[in-house]
Amino acid sequence: MDTQANHRATEGLTRRDILKAVAAGLVIGTGLLVVPKRYFRLPQQAQTFVAKVDHYQLDIAGILSLGMQELGVTKAEIQGKRILLKPNLVETASEAPHINTHPLVLRGAIEAFLRLGAATVMVAEGPGHRRDTLAVYEESGLADVLTEDRIKFHDLNYITGYELPNVGAKTTMKTLTFPTLFQDVDWIVSMAKMKTHHWTGATLSMKNLFGVMPGRYYGWPKNVLHKAGIQNSILDINATLKPHFAIVDGIIGMEGDGPIMGDPKQAGVLVMGRNLPAVDATCCRIMGIDPYKVSYLEQADNWLGPIGEKSIEQRGETIVSVQTDFRLIDTIPAQQGIRLA
Amino acid sequence: MDLSSLRTHGSAVLVSRALSGGGFPGRFGERFQVDSTAWSILALAACGGSAELIDQSRQALMREQLPDGRLCVNRTHPASYWPTSLAILAWQDSESCREAQQRAVRFLLETTGFHFPRTSDVPSAHDTLLKGWPWVDDTHSWVEPTAIGIMALKTAGHGHHDRVKEAVRMVLDRQLPHGGWNYGNTHVFGKELHPMPESTGAALIGLAGMVEERTVARSLEYLEDEVGRLRTPISLGWSLLGLAAWGRRPSSATALVERCLANQDRYGEYETSALCLLILGALAAENDKSVPFLSISMYHDKRLSFSR
Repeated sequence: MDTQANHRATEGLTRRDILKAVAAGLVIGTGLLVVPKRYFRLPQQAQTFVAKVDHYQLDIAGILSLGMQELGVTKAEIQGKRILLKPNLVETASEAPHINTHPLVLRGAIEAFLRLGAATVMVAEGPGHRRDTLAVYEESGLADVLTEDRIKFHDLNYITGYELPNVGAKTTMKTLTFPTLFQDVDWIVSMAKMKTHHWTGATLSMKNLFGVMPGRYYGWPKNVLHKAGIQNSILDINATLKPHFAIVDGIIGMEGDGPIMGDPKQAGVLVMGRNLPAVDATCCRIMGIDPYKVSYLEQADNWLGPIGEKSIEQRGETIVSVQTDFRLIDTIPAQQGIRLA
Repeated sequence: MDLSSLRTHGSAVLVSRALSGGGFPGRFGERFQVDSTAWSILALAACGGSAELIDQSRQALMREQLPDGRLCVNRTHPASYWPTSLAILAWQDSESCREAQQRAVRFLLETTGFHFPRTSDVPSAHDTLLKGWPWVDDTHSWVEPTAIGIMALKTAGHGHHDRVKEAVRMVLDRQLPHGGWNYGNTHVFGKELHPMPESTGAALIGLAGMVEERTVARSLEYLEDEVGRLRTPISLGWSLLGLAAWGRRPSSATALVERCLANQDRYGEYETSALCLLILGALAAENDKSVPFLSISMYHDKRLSFSR
């Protein structure tokens, strides 16, 4: 009976009806194409921890230990692990210590991981601008701290690389070359600086991983990645490397024309978490930036991690209690229209 | 440390790192590296080191050359062809390497980076069309690979080639208004960027003998101010070489080199290329004539005109 009714109904359709139906289908289909991909992904959940830290002389190791505890990073998980901390060292200028992750935040993280029983903690970086990594290491003040603490520093720019297939596939790069050192570590921790950025809007824990790509394969200023597309390269590196943890130094960050020429900005926070997009989204909200307007974060949403406020369980301080607008520059395209409403 | 001690010490350290059959690793116990080998050949030759080891190492470099003449960081990364210029320098004056050197020169002369016309939305200030050489295939031309490319081609007798002339213009175009060079951007979004000693040293060597001193005076001034603060081998080595290329030899050079060598207690043993740069810089600062790429001058040739 139903079949006959359907048959009659089809017979009753005019050519105009069919065209209308096709047109409607096209409109809906085209509409779906412009809806961001994130709406088709299963929602993810993550936690971040925000600590108020007014200055670098405070007990940063204690604060980071508390944060890790809140995030469920246990002694059982870290015991015997080899931990690699990747700071943000780009270049130095005598009047601009806010370019780089502060050495005392590194010291705090080293101590926090050693307290949890890490077998070794090392620090490694491959600066994007300077070929003389040791000079940045020295002039940033990090050499003093690590020498005193007897912690090994590795120059990632001149290290031999190994290739991995590009899991992200956002750029046309078929493979990515990472330092062989990474084959001998258990945890990679991105220790970024909280900064605005003139190409990407904001540079935080995900963008910081540009510095793991060895200069001898990617050049200075890692121009292979720029040419492939900065935002998509960030996604590819993160999707392929799968870093384990992030700590962002926002005690004094940078606003305006970051990542080098901007001004210091006291945000007075440390932000951390296991999921880098979630950490970066939280940082953006603290900075007064809408993470959905930062292209690589919007693309990462519910793929590499959640960036929605409701999907991120906030531990420690609330975002509202520490939020402070970082100055954005109207004439820089990547910073236009990204202010949090 | 006098020159004789420096030569003996430098030579001994390099010999201890040499691989059996020639060639050098980045660090003791590691694998062969093209750039480390090329720098070691230059430093060993300047120190009066073993001719046999130098020859074996040159042969090792030849085995790494790809059919089109390039030498790469390693064979699995043919796009990273920046060591080609270093090999040209390392093969200089070697009869058995002449053909390999000519092929490398041909590769360099026929290759350039990615260049594009400036549009109003490009936030950097330099001339994007001027061709030098990139670090990696199909990327933009940057200061250091271009400066080392000029050094290599000048040394190999191609200083008059149009590509070298254009590369000289490119390096001059990237000079920072207040003096010095960085990796290769002058202004971005209207702000002048910071100079870097290692880039400045390399650029000054590339330009030596090619342009009038007044065109680089601010950069020489910047580097002379900076050199006393340098503690690390890449910055100090390139700076001493860059200043020496213009006849400037800081009186404190020996003390700076000794301090830098002593800093290995702090940083660990220096990477081979960095150590070689420091040795060459130290020799150049003492007006030693054994650093080959410093003594090439073409400025008095009437065919060249590189005024900015």
